[in-house]
Amino acid sequence: MKSSRRLGLVMIAPAAIMIVLFFLLPVILTAVFSMTNMSTATGISGGVYQIAPNSLIILKSAMPDIAAELAEPRYAIDEAGLKAVEGLGLAHGIAAELRAKHAGEVFPTRREAERMIKDLAERPSTRDVKQISEQFNRSAVNTRFDSKEELFSALDTLGLNLTLEQKEAVAEATYTGWTWTTDNFSRIATSPDMARVLLNTALYVALVLTLFNVGYALLLAIWTHYMPPAPASIFRGIWLLPRITPVVIYVMLWKWLAWDTGFISVLMGKFGYPPKNYLLDTAYNAWFFVVLINGFIGASMGMLVFSSAMKAIPKSQFYASEVDGASRWQQIRYIILPQMRWPILFVTCYQTLSLLASFNETLLATNGGPGNATEVWALAAYHTALRNYAGNLEYGLGAAMALVLVVIGVTLSLLYLRVFNYRTLVAKPLIED
Amino acid sequence: MAERSQPSANYSSWPVVSALTIVSLPLLLMYVYLFLDTVTVKQPDALLPSGFTVNHWRFLWQTTAGKANIWQVTVNTLLFSACTTSLVLLVSSMAGYVLSRLNVPARGFFLAGVMVLHAFPSVTLIIAIFIVLQMIGLYNSLIGVILVKAAIDLPLGIWLMKGFYDTVPWEIEMAGVVDGASRFRVWKSLVLPQVKPGIMALGLFSFLSGWGEFILPQVLAPGNDVQVLSVYLAGFLADDNNYDFNMFKAVGLFYLVPVLIAYALFNKYLMNIYGGGSKG
Repeated sequence: MKSSRRLGLVMIAPAAIMIVLFFLLPVILTAVFSMTNMSTATGISGGVYQIAPNSLIILKSAMPDIAAELAEPRYAIDEAGLKAVEGLGLAHGIAAELRAKHAGEVFPTRREAERMIKDLAERPSTRDVKQISEQFNRSAVNTRFDSKEELFSALDTLGLNLTLEQKEAVAEATYTGWTWTTDNFSRIATSPDMARVLLNTALYVALVLTLFNVGYALLLAIWTHYMPPAPASIFRGIWLLPRITPVVIYVMLWKWLAWDTGFISVLMGKFGYPPKNYLLDTAYNAWFFVVLINGFIGASMGMLVFSSAMKAIPKSQFYASEVDGASRWQQIRYIILPQMRWPILFVTCYQTLSLLASFNETLLATNGGPGNATEVWALAAYHTALRNYAGNLEYGLGAAMALVLVVIGVTLSLLYLRVFNYRTLVAKPLIED
Repeated sequence: MAERSQPSANYSSWPVVSALTIVSLPLLLMYVYLFLDTVTVKQPDALLPSGFTVNHWRFLWQTTAGKANIWQVTVNTLLFSACTTSLVLLVSSMAGYVLSRLNVPARGFFLAGVMVLHAFPSVTLIIAIFIVLQMIGLYNSLIGVILVKAAIDLPLGIWLMKGFYDTVPWEIEMAGVVDGASRFRVWKSLVLPQVKPGIMALGLFSFLSGWGEFILPQVLAPGNDVQVLSVYLAGFLADDNNYDFNMFKAVGLFYLVPVLIAYALFNKYLMNIYGGGSKG
C-alpha cells in the first residue's frame, strides 16, 4: 500500500508541477489581471504620478476648477528661480530684493507676478520683467513624481490649497500605473461592441458545428461507409489533410484560392469578371470563407468518430435490411442514424469547446475583418490584449475576456462529465501492494 | 478488411465516389497547386503553368534581407517540436500510469481536473504568460515556449496514456509483482512495452502539433534568433503586397513535407488521436 502510493506520487509529480506552473497558474493570473486596468499605457509594473493632459481631461469632468488651476502655470518665487535671476546679469539688487521680500510667495497668474516685479526698488524695464518672471514659471503639468507625498508637496509649494479628498482625487487621476478595478467586467457587460462579438461567436460556433463538424462529418462517414475500402481510405486521408497541415500553410492555401491574385479571381477573369479579394470583399464572403476554413478542419474528427462507430454496427443488421428490401436511404435513416446518437452528442460537446477557443485560422485568414465582421470572442481577447492596431494593449480587459471563456469552458465540461458518466472512468485499481 | 467496411454489395458505389470527389475538389486543387506552383512558371492570369523552374526554391541557398535564415529557422522548429514531444511523452507516460493503475490521493479529482483543463482556451494562457514573461524579463526565449506548449499538450497526453494503460491486462502486472519486482520495475519493463502504440501515437501527435504551432511562438518568441517556421511564414502572409507568392508557397511546401512523410508512414497510429480529438 505504502510503496505504491509513494511511487504514484513521485511519478505524477512532474505532470502536477508542469500543469500547476504553466497551466493552472496562468489561469489564476488571468483572473488576477482581469481585475486590473493593466495596459501598455499603465505598464505592467507600478507607475508614477504625472499631471499629463489626459489626466487633466479626467479631472475636468469631476472638478473643473481644480483641473483649470492645475493646467495653468504658477509663479513661485523659489530658490531655483532666484539663482536663475542672478545668472541673468541684470542689476544686482533685483535678485537680492526678491529674495528678501518675496521668497516663498506664489502668484497665480503671470500678470500678478509681473506687477510685483515692476514694483521692485530697481524698477526693471518691461523687457527685463518678462525675463525675470519667466524664471519663476512653475507648472505641475508633465512633471513625474515617484510617490503621492512628492506630488502633494509639489502642489503645496505651488500654492494650490486642496483638501485631502481633492488631493486623493488628483492622485488617482494622475497615477500612470495600473490599479485594481472591476471596470473590465462592466465594460464587457455593457459595451455594444462586445455584444456584437458575442453574437459573432454564437453564429460562428453554430454554423461550423452544425454544417461541418457534425453535418458534413456525418455525410463523409456515411459516404465512405458505402465505398470499397481503397477509395474510402483515400478520401479519409484527403479529409485529414487540413488537420495535419500546419495552420499557417493551410490558411495560405485558402488565401491563394480567394485573394485578388488568387485562383478564383483568375478563373472568374476568364469569364470577364474583374479580379477582387473574395476573402475580404464583403462581410458575407468573409463569413463564408471563415466557416469553410474552420469547417474543413473540424469535419475530420467527426468523420473518424462516426466512421469507427459505424464499423461497430453489426453487419447482420445491414444484410437483414437488404433482404427485406430496404433502400440505402432507409438503411441510413433506420439503422445508422439511431445508433449514432452518442457519437453525435460526444462530437457536439467536444467541438463546441474547441470552436469557442479556436482563433488561429480566423486570425490568419481575415484577422477579424472586414471591419469587425468576423471577430469572434477568443480572437477579440487576443486582439485586445496582444495585437491592437490602436496601439494600446489592454491586458486587463483582454484577460477579463479570456476569463469569460474559461468560465464557459469549465461549466460546459463539468456538464459533459456528468452527461458522459464520469464515475465509470475512475474504477479503483486492482493491485495494492 | 473489405467485408468489414463495406456493408453491402447490392448497391453500386460510383455515385458516392463521384459525389465525394466533387466536394473534395477544392482541397485537392489547393494541395496539387501547392506543389505545382513551387516548381513551375505561370503567367499572372493563367490557370496552367507554362514552364519548369527551381527559382522559387532559392530561399534554400540565399537569405532575404531582413528575414531570418531558413536553416536556422528549421533547426529552431525541429528543436521546439522535439523537446516538446520528449517532455510530453516522458511526463504523460508516467502520469497516465499513475492515474490508471496506482492508488494516489485525490486521483479522481486529478482525472476530472485533467479533463476540464483540456477545455481551457489557450488564449488565456498566452495573455497571462506574456505578461508574466514581460514582468520577469524572460520574453523571447525558446525554453519558455517549449514548457508552455508541453503543458498545453499534457492534459490530452495524460488522458490518452491512461486510456492505453487501461487496456493492458492486469495479469501482466500481477505476474511481475508476484515474481518480486517493484511496481516501478513492473511499469518500466513490463507495462511500458505494452503501450507502444500509444506512445507512438502521442509522440507523433505531439511532434506534428509542435511543428505546426503558430500562436505561442508568435507571441512569446517572435525574435529572429528563436523564430520557428510558422512565424517565419506568417511574416510573409501578413504582408499584403505579396511580391512573390510562389516562393512563399515553396517555403510552405518545405515546411509541409515532413508532416506529410510522418503522416504517410504512421497514419494508423495518428487516427487514434484525431479520432479522439485534439483542439481546433
